[in-house]
Amino acid sequence: MTTRLERFLAFSADATAFTRFELQGTGQAREYLDTVVRIAGDTIVDRLLDLHLHAKAVAAASGNSAIMEHLLRRDVLSDPRLGPVARNIVKMWFVGIWYELPREWTEAFGAREGDVTFVVSGTAYAEGLLWRAIGANPPGAKAPGYGSWALPPHIPALAAH
Amino acid sequence: MTADMTHDVVVVGAGVAGSLIARRLTTEGLRVLVLEAGPATPSTFEGYLQHVQTFYAASGKGAESAWPPAIGAPQPDARDLRSDNGYFVQRGPLKYGSTYTRAQGGSTLHWLGVSLRMLPEDFELRSRYGRGRDWPLRYQALEPWYRQAEREIGVAADVADQTHHGIEFADGYDYPMRRIPPSYSDIVLAAAVDGMSVRLGEDEIRLKVRSYPAARNSIPRDGYRPVGAVDIRPDGLGRDLYLGERCAGNTSCTPICPIQAKYNAGKSLARANPAYLTVLARAVASKLHVDPVSGEVRGVEYQRYEDTSSPRHTVHTAHGRIYVLAAHAVENAKLMLASGLGGASGMLGRNLMDHPSIYGWGLAKAPLGPYRGPLSTSGIDDMRGGAFRARHAAFRVDIGNDGWRPTTGAPDTTVVDAVQTRGLYGADLRRYLESTLARQVRFSLNAEQLPSAANRVTIDPRYLDAMGNPRPVISYDIDDYTLAGMAEATRVYREVFSRAGIEDHTDPEHSTWFPEVPYAGGTMRYHGMGHFAGTHGMGNDPESSVVDVDQRSWEHRNLFLVGAGSFPTMGTSNPTLTMAALALRTADRLIAEMGRSSHRQQPYRREQGRSRDLSSGGYTEDRPPEGLGDRL
Repeated sequence: MTTRLERFLAFSADATAFTRFELQGTGQAREYLDTVVRIAGDTIVDRLLDLHLHAKAVAAASGNSAIMEHLLRRDVLSDPRLGPVARNIVKMWFVGIWYELPREWTEAFGAREGDVTFVVSGTAYAEGLLWRAIGANPPGAKAPGYGSWALPPHIPALAAH
Repeated sequence: MTADMTHDVVVVGAGVAGSLIARRLTTEGLRVLVLEAGPATPSTFEGYLQHVQTFYAASGKGAESAWPPAIGAPQPDARDLRSDNGYFVQRGPLKYGSTYTRAQGGSTLHWLGVSLRMLPEDFELRSRYGRGRDWPLRYQALEPWYRQAEREIGVAADVADQTHHGIEFADGYDYPMRRIPPSYSDIVLAAAVDGMSVRLGEDEIRLKVRSYPAARNSIPRDGYRPVGAVDIRPDGLGRDLYLGERCAGNTSCTPICPIQAKYNAGKSLARANPAYLTVLARAVASKLHVDPVSGEVRGVEYQRYEDTSSPRHTVHTAHGRIYVLAAHAVENAKLMLASGLGGASGMLGRNLMDHPSIYGWGLAKAPLGPYRGPLSTSGIDDMRGGAFRARHAAFRVDIGNDGWRPTTGAPDTTVVDAVQTRGLYGADLRRYLESTLARQVRFSLNAEQLPSAANRVTIDPRYLDAMGNPRPVISYDIDDYTLAGMAEATRVYREVFSRAGIEDHTDPEHSTWFPEVPYAGGTMRYHGMGHFAGTHGMGNDPESSVVDVDQRSWEHRNLFLVGAGSFPTMGTSNPTLTMAALALRTADRLIAEMGRSSHRQQPYRREQGRSRDLSSGGYTEDRPPEGLGDRL
């Protein structure tokens, strides 16, 4: 039985194309999981993570990784209840911001307390994956050092999945 | 502490001009009181880091995001421009697009740091091209103070890059620090652009991507020691943090350099002689008292507040022998008008200028690595001067290192769009971000604006702030001379993009909102550069100017109005270095004059040992010393 945090990391690794190791290295996993649980609730988060694990298991059993993408899109991303929450997790990892859920979501599933656009924390901002995805640093943090900007950007290769 | 609390000089405003003057005068043993309308900026590094945290946590990361204003000292905010419900009362016909910050340190807290000299021809626009006005001094006359300013604020550049358009440097001079390394994007663009020519009317102009002088710490020359982060503890002693002595590439000159590798006016205050300096923040100068016979200023009334979230305040008056208004082009004019000192010439508040600017943005063929390094390290300066200035405005091309951030809100908005609208995640999302963000290029095309009496700051008793002070009422237009320059700038950036193989994505219909101006059957969108100038222009004639060449008021001889408000015209350089040079020149005039006439005053307090001469120390008083203000 894996913990919810482990399942959250597994989903996040597939959703961001950063490794679980890299995600853990940000120190942000617990804070993002707590944020999405606080706003979207246990039921939705568990359902989303279960469906991801299921998709992964099916793909592994069949030896066809394309099946996972198919199942994730069909069961999670296209699902009117789970899709916007899943996308918010991706955005949170990349930008460090929780974006207010779309109005259609709120109308269909009810407004949630705390569901406004906000920077999850100062650390979340500085740990946004967006910056490393493009070989840059978050403005005002993690300065790469004098003169580094004169060199070509170092854009990390995508991890093999 | 002495019982006689009359100051030698009362300075209104702790921005770059006021702080440089305070430092120079206190170093000469003159007692200076600096009144700052906005909140105090911590002199401890730990306190400064709170502003970095404020910036991290802000959901909008604009120029003001690290520097929340006080209710007692409201300020314009870029977010209010569209809704038109901000601090400025915009009378039109166009919106004045710039903002500034009312806080100790002023707008240098979040300026970019570019420190260009004006061109020699900028001082002689009327005689050379029949446009605008001439300055009452020439480039050569100001040049010694340009050098001093470059040392005071710490400018990094190589003279070898900067001798164009007749800019001359004293023999053997070079900047205190080597140039900031150009960004990779600058280097790639230069390879494509250098040597190409464009036509402006009769003139064929060859282009070159040129490194910008910047008040950011770099490798020092000749024993100069860069001034890094300030850390003066409550005991009044400065600590050497060995931090910020080189720019580290934080990529946030605006809104806050987290290590203070970029100049801010707090560094000058920190290097003033603390025994002769008192800085009083949260003290809004509201009225000048003037002797009705001599016209001399007799006191500055100011409102002191404790709580930045409340308009509650007490009223005091500060007295000095000399008064220096260094509050900002708009605030200086506002304070004069609020004191009933509009003046006989009617020039006060008029000739407000800016550099109305256009953005051009595109995608390069290969990754240029934007979002790295200082926000701008190079530009194309070749259209800053030439015979075409008889017909249309000169302009300067800033090359941004922060991609499309100012124009589309990238990179955050790019992620949102990719995830939300394009349905991307995982490797596809990463590939999309790499293929767009890493290729972004953005130019800002900054056009010169001429003085026009109709562009002005006034006040109106119907429009007051929470403490009852007038809000600036602004009338603003952009004339055909400048619009034609903006149109030429647009044509030029397209030629440059085409030459460099940059796909033009400029699309003001789908970008951040900017004010628009009709021109030649179409519409141009412009933004302000924060370069307020011209509200109390200097000249040789009291009929057509507010201050003389020393920035001394024609009508009030113990009053000086300093800053970019004194500029008769503004050329195409950003105004900070020139206003710094003028401020230092004014300080020298004051020292010469007051040194002669005064008996030496006692310092406010005992001189303290300082850990590092001329680079730390400084004193910031949080409350008025006993007997300082006369409570009304």
